[in-house]
Amino acid sequence: MKQLECGRRYFLRAGALGSLVGVSLPEFLRLQSVMAAGKSKAQSCILMWLKGGPSHVDTWDPKPNSSFKPISTNVAGIQISSLLPRVAKHMDKLALVRSMHTLEQDHSAATYYAMTGHRPIPAMHFPSLGSIVTKELGPRSGLPAYVLEPQWERERVYEDSFKAGFLGPEFNPMITPDPSQPGFQVPDLSLPESLPMERLQDRRALLQLVDRSFRQIEESAEYANMDRFSEQALKMILSPEVRKAFDLSQEPQKVKESYGLHGLGQSVLLARRLVENGCRFVTAAGNQVNDWDTHVLNDKKHGETLVPQLDQSFAYLLEDLEQRGLLESTLVIAMGEFGRTPHHNANGGRDHWPQCWSLALGGGGIRGGQVIGASDERGAKVSGPVTSIGDLAATIYKAFGIDWKKEYMSPIGRPVKIANAFNDVTGEPIEGLV
Amino acid sequence: MKRRWQAGFLILGAMAWNSGRAAAPAKLLSIRVVPEEVTLRGAQASQRILVLGKFSDGLERDLTAESRITLADAATAGLEDGRVVALADGETWLSAEFRGRAAKIRLRIEASRQERPFRFARDIGGIFTRRGCNSSGCHGSVVGRGGFKLSSDALDPQEDYRWVTEGGVYSVFSVAPKAPSPPRINRKEPEQSLLLLKPTFGVPHGGGSLFSRGSTDYRTLLDWIRNGAPFGQEDAPIDRLDVFPKEPVLDRNGKQRLLVIARRSNGGYEDAAGLARFESADREVAEVSADGLIQAKKAGETPILIHVAGHAPVGIRVAIAASPRVEYPEVARNNLVDDHVFARLRQLSIVPSVLSSDAEFLRRLCLDVTGTLPPPERAREFLADRNPNKRRKLIETLLDSPEYVDYWTFRFADLFRVNLFVQNSIAKASQTYWEWIRDSIARNKPYDQMARERIAAQGYDGAVMHYQTVNEFRAAEDNMAEQVRVFLGRRLDCSQCHNHPYEAWSQNQFWGMAAFFGRLTRLWDQVDFVLIDYPGGHGEMGNGVRMTHPRTKEEVQPRFLDGTLLPENQLRDPRMKLAEWMTAHPYFAEATVNRMWGYFFGRGLVDPVDDIRLANPPTHPALLASLAQDFREHGHDLKRLIRTIVESRTYQLSHTPNETNKDDRLSYSRAFSRPLDAEVLWDAINQFAGVEEDSEKWRGGRASTRTRAINLMTPDLFFSQFLHVYGQPNRLTVPQRESGPSLGQALHMLAGSTYTSKLSKEGGRVDRLLKSQASDRQIIEEFYLAALVRWPSADERDTLQSWIGRRPSRRQAFEDLAWSLISSREFVYNH
Repeated sequence: MKQLECGRRYFLRAGALGSLVGVSLPEFLRLQSVMAAGKSKAQSCILMWLKGGPSHVDTWDPKPNSSFKPISTNVAGIQISSLLPRVAKHMDKLALVRSMHTLEQDHSAATYYAMTGHRPIPAMHFPSLGSIVTKELGPRSGLPAYVLEPQWERERVYEDSFKAGFLGPEFNPMITPDPSQPGFQVPDLSLPESLPMERLQDRRALLQLVDRSFRQIEESAEYANMDRFSEQALKMILSPEVRKAFDLSQEPQKVKESYGLHGLGQSVLLARRLVENGCRFVTAAGNQVNDWDTHVLNDKKHGETLVPQLDQSFAYLLEDLEQRGLLESTLVIAMGEFGRTPHHNANGGRDHWPQCWSLALGGGGIRGGQVIGASDERGAKVSGPVTSIGDLAATIYKAFGIDWKKEYMSPIGRPVKIANAFNDVTGEPIEGLV
Repeated sequence: MKRRWQAGFLILGAMAWNSGRAAAPAKLLSIRVVPEEVTLRGAQASQRILVLGKFSDGLERDLTAESRITLADAATAGLEDGRVVALADGETWLSAEFRGRAAKIRLRIEASRQERPFRFARDIGGIFTRRGCNSSGCHGSVVGRGGFKLSSDALDPQEDYRWVTEGGVYSVFSVAPKAPSPPRINRKEPEQSLLLLKPTFGVPHGGGSLFSRGSTDYRTLLDWIRNGAPFGQEDAPIDRLDVFPKEPVLDRNGKQRLLVIARRSNGGYEDAAGLARFESADREVAEVSADGLIQAKKAGETPILIHVAGHAPVGIRVAIAASPRVEYPEVARNNLVDDHVFARLRQLSIVPSVLSSDAEFLRRLCLDVTGTLPPPERAREFLADRNPNKRRKLIETLLDSPEYVDYWTFRFADLFRVNLFVQNSIAKASQTYWEWIRDSIARNKPYDQMARERIAAQGYDGAVMHYQTVNEFRAAEDNMAEQVRVFLGRRLDCSQCHNHPYEAWSQNQFWGMAAFFGRLTRLWDQVDFVLIDYPGGHGEMGNGVRMTHPRTKEEVQPRFLDGTLLPENQLRDPRMKLAEWMTAHPYFAEATVNRMWGYFFGRGLVDPVDDIRLANPPTHPALLASLAQDFREHGHDLKRLIRTIVESRTYQLSHTPNETNKDDRLSYSRAFSRPLDAEVLWDAINQFAGVEEDSEKWRGGRASTRTRAINLMTPDLFFSQFLHVYGQPNRLTVPQRESGPSLGQALHMLAGSTYTSKLSKEGGRVDRLLKSQASDRQIIEEFYLAALVRWPSADERDTLQSWIGRRPSRRQAFEDLAWSLISSREFVYNH
């Protein structure tokens, strides 16, 4: 029954679309966002996933024990690392949370925890933030509602943190290859040359024939779903909009360069395209293999590559979204799975540090230009109240207009909170953000 | 020609069965009274009795309301509303009479002057249970509700008493508890007690108004508070709840009252209906009243939960037979499975479907026993074979085949979770683990031995790699809960942090069991890993830990589920003792049989297969017990169990429904379609396409060119878009395949390389057939035999031939046909 409801919602939207003659899909969605902006409700989300855990003292929470000085931003009283000069000019759009406190030291467990609010347990698979948002709000357009890019070829297990768990494969993200690689193409979205559209139609007609005798024996809800997905898939493949949304070659070279011709930059660019064309939740991971995990030569890697790339892509994303009128309706989050140690280790690196770290979020109705929480003089401990993953999730849900106190019933009969903070208590939306 | 004649005969036969000809009304054969003997002890003791009539259609119906019931001696006992009530000591007879039939039972009344002492657990706890105050949705939830916590089903009356009379503080985890809540009674002004104001809605109450101020329950509570709110005597715990009838089958619109008798550890027993709350899981099928009268609504089945103060909830299954009842035909049977299944179907007046066709059976059996489709030559052979024993022979052939070993290695690798990431990214560990599984299957090792080897693994070989696991899953408690789930089919997980909300598992029991894994120590010499149980005391995979109870902080000693402590002199080898205890426990055979059944029918006799509990009763309890006993008595032989299942007629029924069974989902009156697992589906497509996966397609892996998906030792070493969208699991969690259609699958089916380039590959089946001399018709037939394991019907063949004839490109036309066959429901499902 739930699936029917989802379909109905989508169906209604498609109908509304059809009635606006002459309006292109991006325009329609922009209208939708503008209307929704009045109620400060986010319509989509771009999650910039900084895999490996960025060092907070070298980014959002500058301290004397960082090798990099702090700089002022365009908001009086807020300073960030000098490695982020461009983002500093957009601080009025962003809220910084410096009091993040989580429990997991290990990459895979920490990623899982950050996205689901639960430690991994053998008994069941918890649903991720993106899957929950997708389930609650449904798709916005003919595009897949939830996308993760790129796939982590050697570390597929990390993808589980972004999946739907017991909610079912319907709410899994579509996972694309790396958009920064030449010849980037999403598999299964376009027909191979040997298969022109007419031939595809032939095939489907033949399938009806072949299926006939079996259909006569029994119909079931599951088969009805197969049909529904089949229709949806066909629409997607045949619709130029969907293919165009995933087609980075449509972007002028200048824009690509502004985002940065690297993994993060192109992921973020693709994310903007997708959101513009109606995607609900995009995780732009951008980096393979724990790039931010600088156990060795932290300053060099953060200082020369990682943070400058982040600075470039993040700043331009904010600018770009604003220019296109999408900032009000698009929630943007930049985070990893934890922070890094306040001290350097013997290899000039910083190790994992979940007990105190930072993240940045903006857009989607978030009140920018503010700092939530604080850490001690070295960025080692949170001073004052901590912000849990449950609080972060509650904030995000609130921005979307989703009831963050909701609980799902898992298949093992245990109720699961969608915004799970410590000790099985529901998190609270961060004051003053939404 | 002959085949058509046979088919016609079958159809006629089926039509006769499906005629739905109403049976003649059932004749009453005899009546009886239940319970057969009643002893009432104590003042005002009472017992409900039932008058049941046995009818010629095999059903026993509740005739209590319509019978004439009399007592021989009106001074000894009285009758009140269907209950016998004690009046004076003595013995007498109770007689029932209905339509000329009679029955009687003896009544014994003892100690009729002895006032029953007050007991909080029963007298007040009973009200909490009956009225639902302590249900897990309200105050019985893990954290209580509205600042008031009761134990679920009054299982902890001491705690309840404290909460009610003193106020309480309850925390599940280590969060500092909030201010203690006030006592629920007001000794100075009893009528102002929250305990009375809330349920009568004298003050706002989330649970609404549950009883009125004039009711008996109100008076009982008020009197109790006025008398100083004593705890009274301890109650002897309830050992067992007997529910009667255990598996009621009702007519539509029929009624049946339930008897609930509590047997206490001191030998006493009593009618527990006054302490019970009844709940129907599906009220559209049947409803149950507050005092246990079931009212049937429509054909189907539903569990009914019975909550009795002082015992974990018990479930029974109520079935409502189809109506009108049909003239039941003779149904052939092959073995004990059929005896149980068909007896139940007869009761329900549901006629099983006809036997599957040979084609249906061949495909289904090959997939269920070997995960592999038969090549077209084999299909031709089998379909043409005239031997009446050919099905039996096929079963034996498949059980002895190498593909059997492949497939069941895969199934157990799934269950036992062999995966590179799970084995801590050590490929050799996964390989060793996998090889142990494969060797065990190949030798048909007794399953209890396999289980012991896994639970008690030591050293550096074989099953010990189960413990070479990634950090997340090293905790002793996680290990234990997983073993219990896999081998005993019970989910203790919830009781890690608090007493189980739905079952009687306590947190203490959980940690007592977890302690068996408290000495696991991993010795690591940079190359190899050796696992032992640390002999000197406490060990761990790494640093050494003492097993402590998370709430009391005391050290826990290994203790079996039934409460017995592991003796001191056996502490050196705790896991071996646990393994022996577990595999000898009746739960073991039951859980294994249930899980294996699930592989062949898409659902277990208890479903989910590892969630066996009182409140989740099996659909066929006697069958489950029977199969479990057979399994246990024959060396826990997996092959034998499989043979028993697939030789049954029940397994071999067609999946085509008939008039009487089209709504049946739970009684095995026909076969049900089940989606193929991702790996099996992929192998099937590759086999049909005549293409083997190349090693270049697997990223960075070490698969040989000819590896089928079910033979992968470490599936997560390879990435495949197909397997990904079809829900290949990561094996991090106890198996829960997220199967079911999705957008990703639909996209892949239309545009994915599996469905495009693979089919047109040079040297593949399509290519070979086109290059051969085969005619269009022959190719069509070959396709059907290879993919769907059957001959195309004449209609199908003619339609397709003409369609292909009209295409400009013969090659493309056949590629398209190949595509539609592997995309069809008939291919993607096992039916």
